[in-house]
Amino acid sequence: MTYFESIFKVLVVGLLLGAGLPAVFAAGLVAFSNGSGGQNADGTTVAPNPAMKFAGIALFVFVGWVILTAVLWITRATIIHHTGVDLFPFMPKK
Amino acid sequence: MGEQMARSGEVPARHTLLKSALVRKKGAPGRRISAVSAELIILVLLIATALAFDFTNGFHDTGNAMATSIATGALKPKTAVLLAGVLNLVGAFLSVEVAVTVTTSVLKVQDSKTGALIPGIDASTGLTIIFAGLIGGILWNLLTWLFGIPSSSSHALFGGLIGAGLAALGMAGVNWSGVSSKVLIPAVAAPVIACLVAACGTWLVYRLTRKVVESRRREGFRWGQIATASLVALSHGTNDAQKTMGVIALALITTGHLTGDVKEDGLPFWIIFSCAVAIGLGTYLGGWRVIRTLGKGLVEIESPQGFAAEASSAAIILSSSAAGMALSTTHVATGSILGSGVGKPGAQVRWAVAGRMAIAWLITLPAAGIMGALAYWLSYGVESLTGSALAGDGLIFLILVGLSFFMWWRAQQQKVDSNNVNADWDDSTNSVVPADVREAAKETKPTASV
Repeated sequence: MTYFESIFKVLVVGLLLGAGLPAVFAAGLVAFSNGSGGQNADGTTVAPNPAMKFAGIALFVFVGWVILTAVLWITRATIIHHTGVDLFPFMPKK
Repeated sequence: MGEQMARSGEVPARHTLLKSALVRKKGAPGRRISAVSAELIILVLLIATALAFDFTNGFHDTGNAMATSIATGALKPKTAVLLAGVLNLVGAFLSVEVAVTVTTSVLKVQDSKTGALIPGIDASTGLTIIFAGLIGGILWNLLTWLFGIPSSSSHALFGGLIGAGLAALGMAGVNWSGVSSKVLIPAVAAPVIACLVAACGTWLVYRLTRKVVESRRREGFRWGQIATASLVALSHGTNDAQKTMGVIALALITTGHLTGDVKEDGLPFWIIFSCAVAIGLGTYLGGWRVIRTLGKGLVEIESPQGFAAEASSAAIILSSSAAGMALSTTHVATGSILGSGVGKPGAQVRWAVAGRMAIAWLITLPAAGIMGALAYWLSYGVESLTGSALAGDGLIFLILVGLSFFMWWRAQQQKVDSNNVNADWDDSTNSVVPADVREAAKETKPTASV
């Protein structure tokens, strides 16, 4: 049954992107927060750690890149229509 | 009089067109001109109704993208609906794929290659089916909006079309396999998948950030919320405005105003423009009642939950359209919000509200279907009696306007808007109307005693 296949595909991709991306963002937030130093939720203090902070920012940039890719995916057909450029040549056309 | 003016080359005033359309004299000269004029008026009414449907689609679905951001304060209410309105407008313009064959999922009235009506159906019947379908969809959208119940606009439209199709053509007119594979199965799958994904995402987010101080967590996720909510609004614009464009294209193909290969050449700009504006405007005016239910009624939402919910919605909407299985944004968004409640340890989910919503979803297809069928029968009945298609379609149009106005007026009596959208939820009644507004509405009603 092809629609159960589709449902399964949507579930897997949904989990990867829909749950995975928030997890990456959360990891970035933790890294950035620890790297910036200051207080933790339980009251302990942490010294600033530039490497952690950088890691945090890198993770945020990664999330931003994923979102940008998503926007390009949404507008894929429009871009092909106006410029002839297919940014996702490896993906099947709808 | 209309015929005389037409023959001399002047454009008759609309009321004379109406008169000549309504008065069908057997064998009278210029009768053909009257028939064409009547069809034109029906077409204009139909396009207006389609745009009205697009408008209700807009305000019904604002909440899918923005309810969580409004509820957590990530965005101010008016800013959120403005952002969503602009993104829906942009998204509608961005979509180049035309859903000309919009009815082929549920009805057997369109040729799936050209988009034209199949040979067995005459133009007048075809137009009335579309008209009645739109009316069923609009009325159900307005009714669910009045009660603040998020409901799928796509299903409302499909339901209306199915009802009208059944009334016009019987069981053979409906594409039952399409209904089951493209409407029913996705309707069950969507909220389940969304709930699962959002629950996982929320759980992960809370687990990972358990040591982060509350203010930083809230601030960080606030930005994440804005980004993901914008993604949902943009993808909604690209998907949903197309349906209305497809309906208008079908009507124009039927009356012969649109020829050529629509899939190749695309649609006339005015259709894209008007549909984009209609959905953008509807989104901006904001279905505050629905936003309130999604943002406050289902789950008391915090920033991390809102972020996970919208990320889940965006991921599922995009991946499902990539897989060719279009899911309803409302089903996905609602499932995600529920999931974000389930995923957070100690969160409160109002299952009573969720249950009410589930029931509304179950009856969307039949309810919109019944209204579509009734609209069709009424129009067909009047047309058989008077011999005028315009009388039939005109009557159901007027009834649509009347009922719509009535429901809008009822909503104004107990108003939910940007000021009270975040007011505390009334747990005693689970009504979308905040308790103080309901009390005030009761007091203004005059009582019998002097």
